[in-house]
Amino acid sequence: MILQFIINGLITGILYSLLAIGFALVYNTTKIFHIAAAGLYVLASYIFWFANTIWHANLFVSAVLSVLITMLVSCIIELIVYRHLKSRGASLNVMMIASIGIMTVLVNVIALAFGHEAKFVNTEIQRTFSGDSVILTTPQIWQLFVGGIILSLGVLVLKFTNYGRRLRALSEDEELYSTLGYNVNNTRNIVFAVSGMYIAVASCLSAYDVGMEPNMGMNFLINAMVAMMIGGMGRVVPCIAGGLLLGVLQSLVVSQFAASWQNAVTFVILLILLFVRPQGIAGYKKRIV
Amino acid sequence: MPVIKKELFNMEYTLHVIYLLCIYIMLVLSANLTTGMANLLTMCQAAFYGIGAYIGTLFLFQCNYLFVVIAIAVMLVTGVSSLIVSYASVKLKGDYFVLATMGFQLIVYTILYNWTEVTNGTYGIAGIPGINLFFGAVSLDGIYLNLAFVMLITIAVVLFLYRLKNSPYGRLLKAIRNDDITVEAFGRNTASVKIWAFALSSAIAGLAGALYASYVGYIDPTSFPLKESIFILCALFIGGIGNIEGPICGAAFVIVLPELLRFVGLPDSVAAEIRQIIYGVALVLIMIFRPQGIKGKIVMK
Repeated sequence: MILQFIINGLITGILYSLLAIGFALVYNTTKIFHIAAAGLYVLASYIFWFANTIWHANLFVSAVLSVLITMLVSCIIELIVYRHLKSRGASLNVMMIASIGIMTVLVNVIALAFGHEAKFVNTEIQRTFSGDSVILTTPQIWQLFVGGIILSLGVLVLKFTNYGRRLRALSEDEELYSTLGYNVNNTRNIVFAVSGMYIAVASCLSAYDVGMEPNMGMNFLINAMVAMMIGGMGRVVPCIAGGLLLGVLQSLVVSQFAASWQNAVTFVILLILLFVRPQGIAGYKKRIV
Repeated sequence: MPVIKKELFNMEYTLHVIYLLCIYIMLVLSANLTTGMANLLTMCQAAFYGIGAYIGTLFLFQCNYLFVVIAIAVMLVTGVSSLIVSYASVKLKGDYFVLATMGFQLIVYTILYNWTEVTNGTYGIAGIPGINLFFGAVSLDGIYLNLAFVMLITIAVVLFLYRLKNSPYGRLLKAIRNDDITVEAFGRNTASVKIWAFALSSAIAGLAGALYASYVGYIDPTSFPLKESIFILCALFIGGIGNIEGPICGAAFVIVLPELLRFVGLPDSVAAEIRQIIYGVALVLIMIFRPQGIKGKIVMK
């Protein structure tokens, strides 16, 4: 029984890790507290649902469409909001407040268009696959495989390719980066596009399993932020590990207490971690100013 | 259509809007005390508001004799609960602190939602008695008395904060906003300044919560989610931070604007979403083109 809970937690953790990487890519390279990611997360789910249910596209095509549109919207946000703010010398707090504004707009446009009631992509009875003591549903297997593949691709690209090194260089020192002849704005566009892709993948995988409603984004994003905090800010693999750890922890809390206390336990862990070790379990210690 | 016109100028409803405006002026001013004056961006004002409302309800049911006593008790409890956040503000900087306040907000919300023995969970608490000012001699019922009372308290809060802003303590807060390391180097205890800022800010928000609970007569946790905190921040930044006029202006913007929209003839089914979209767009535009807000003087650092 406990094994089942751990597996369930790991699969939820994969979704947290995906979203956490989507958030962390922007956060680490541009230092923007990208709350609009919650809006993008909701948007991706609804595009997925819309393409699948209204246009009767198959699941794969809808998911690809959702990922592409989310990447586009993510870049548009960077182009028309963050870049303007940056050129006006706005502080990071101001950018975060603008980001809250974008999140509010996205969520409410979706609520206006599709209503507040929950929507489901997967309405049939789910086929299950049972092992010795573990039962997995079809959406869970998709989450495990697609999520796992995208996560490992992300790690490989960010850790070992030139592109990943550029991102780290940009997050270290923007001025030096542009002095060496690289285009900061181009790199930022790519960062926002890739971040949109991760957000959309997490969103579609979760929508396929449990459906969607317009206000789900913030809750999920906060869990992803906690995952990032647990692992350590500014690093990729610890971020993923943090997501998995958080998923398993929450699942174990559900198995021991009621599911309704899950959030409280998560944030008590967050507060303790912030006070004891704010850089995260595997983060680099640096001065936080 | 004459029916709608009659509805538009409903006196009682207008007074209700003014009552809400007073509550939100207090809430936004209390958020301004930490976010605006000390540059500590907090996302947990609704948590203090909720704690105040629930503690106030508890006292109103148990010992509704002297409102002064209840108000002091509410302010004490919310002030003490703010110690967690102020501890975080001393220990953490920047985004870490924002995340900690979000965590506090969500913990309070979960407790209000799940501690059913005290808060009655999702069903909420109904039939909260009206405020009793002096041993049953003066009890507030009806909108007029309530409104007069809340206006008095709001004016008191505004005057108090105005005095506070120009007092030595207010100048110390301003100095911390500009550069807290320098303030520390001059031998001031920034930690205690921050702790008092949070205690005052949360006490005002808690008082607003208690007043709101006794006026509406029914509270449930869904009035105090993270969304509400974000809404208060929205109002604050639209109005402008750092002074007294800005927050009042922001509260007026977010409370009065939806009522003006009713005159345009927007159907009620979409009014809530349209309103939120307007706030969001206003927030983004203000951050880009006028980062100090409508009436503010300073820009968030």
